Amino acid sequence: MKVNADLRLKDVPGQLVFALEPISTNDGNIVGVVHHRDVVIGGHITVNVTFEVRSDRMLQRILDTWKERDIDVARMGSLYETFPIECLLVGDISSQELNNIMEEIESMEDMESVDVRYSVSAASDGKAAILFGKVRKREAVERVERFLEERAADGGFLLVRGLGD
Amino acid sequence: MDLVIVGFGVVGQGVAEVIQQKRDLLHDAFRKKIRIVGVFDSSSYETKKTGLDPSALVKRKASENKVGKRRFDGDAWRMLMDLEYDTLIEVTPTNIVTGEPGFTNIITALRSGKNVITSNKGPLALRFRELSDAARRNNVQFRFEATVGGAMPIINLSRELLKGEKILSIRGILNGTCNFILDRMMEEGLPFAQALREAQEMGIAEKDPSYDIDGVDSACKVAILANAIFGLDKKYSDVKKTGIRGVTEDAISLAGEEKKVIRLIGEISPKRLEVAPRLVRIGHPLSIGGTRNIVQIHTDLAGEITVAGKGAGKYETASAILSDLVALLNEGGKS
Repeated sequence: MKVNADLRLKDVPGQLVFALEPISTNDGNIVGVVHHRDVVIGGHITVNVTFEVRSDRMLQRILDTWKERDIDVARMGSLYETFPIECLLVGDISSQELNNIMEEIESMEDMESVDVRYSVSAASDGKAAILFGKVRKREAVERVERFLEERAADGGFLLVRGLGD
Repeated sequence: MDLVIVGFGVVGQGVAEVIQQKRDLLHDAFRKKIRIVGVFDSSSYETKKTGLDPSALVKRKASENKVGKRRFDGDAWRMLMDLEYDTLIEVTPTNIVTGEPGFTNIITALRSGKNVITSNKGPLALRFRELSDAARRNNVQFRFEATVGGAMPIINLSRELLKGEKILSIRGILNGTCNFILDRMMEEGLPFAQALREAQEMGIAEKDPSYDIDGVDSACKVAILANAIFGLDKKYSDVKKTGIRGVTEDAISLAGEEKKVIRLIGEISPKRLEVAPRLVRIGHPLSIGGTRNIVQIHTDLAGEITVAGKGAGKYETASAILSDLVALLNEGGKS
């Protein structure tokens, strides 16, 4: 599990190591640390840390240690690994058809987010829309692409898929 | 090593010139004389047991539009059966409907126990298995580096240098004409028709561009790579193909706003055998412009290997044929 947290630390030397040490002692893997040294509020600074832990039990141990050390957790959230989706739809596609496509994709399993941008061409058969989003499982990328391939074949428009990397 | 060249258009002439140019180098490296003992174009031929002069052949073709003094009915394969030689270099034009005359020329040579080197995609995209089986049964070599990507080494690299690797997938730009058109649309904001016209005026696209822009050429190459590298038994028609006719200025512009370009990508993977326009991040190796070809080979040990090179042209194709010839000499092909 990947976790992202904002920690409020006392603005004194050694506090950062003091805050990060429980993550490594509990077999966590620190992915990134953003240290906001320039914003000091009430003698505290904010550190944003992203780390991976193997289980909820390990995460709880880290939280307990922070509590013992008087480190304030201002915000915490889980992060999922996501996979990008990007496709370009080209041709005479009505806005109603695009809305339908978007609605169906939004309702698919494992969708994290999806968005669309349209071109402003006057020529109906030259129009394009770019669709981009994120899914939580690799299989979901294939599901969305398969769905779009079918719709493109039915609707007679061109589908340009991303490379996936 | 005695060679017969069938097909004396741009590629055939390039091969003759390169053989002349590299004759001493090949002799020094392999201690073997390389002789052209027969040459055919569509209506004439010439043979000489002691070897023909490559320069004289090219000169005659330029001045008389025929390679030989002797006329024939155009069926080179009948004459191949009576000739004494070691290796056939088959460089007649690609015919994606029947594969002829390339297929019959090649199979005749293989069945007669001759090695074959070819740049002709048609026979391989239609009847690969028959040809490779004939080569194996007759214990001769069948090499075709020039069929995919011109001077870009992909087939021999994958089959020989990467033999210990498991190749998981291959994808890349296999047609320089499409890449030129898409690049011009992006760089200059040209509509598709105008970029195509420009390519035709520059001699990059044919008068009838459908073979390139409808993805036929790329699909042939995908089928050849699938057969030669992945050991599949695929035909050109097994490749799902979408060309670039439908790519509009709006599509190019929207992609550009997302820092992407559109490229016609051929892909061979366990899930796909496909040629289609794809969105590629600017800066990605496959986002290159111009007429070059580029391929990424994804392997289990080495990871991603990228090779690029000029995909077409007289000397580029002759270079690939020369690499096959060198491989034959290296392996002690019949001399």
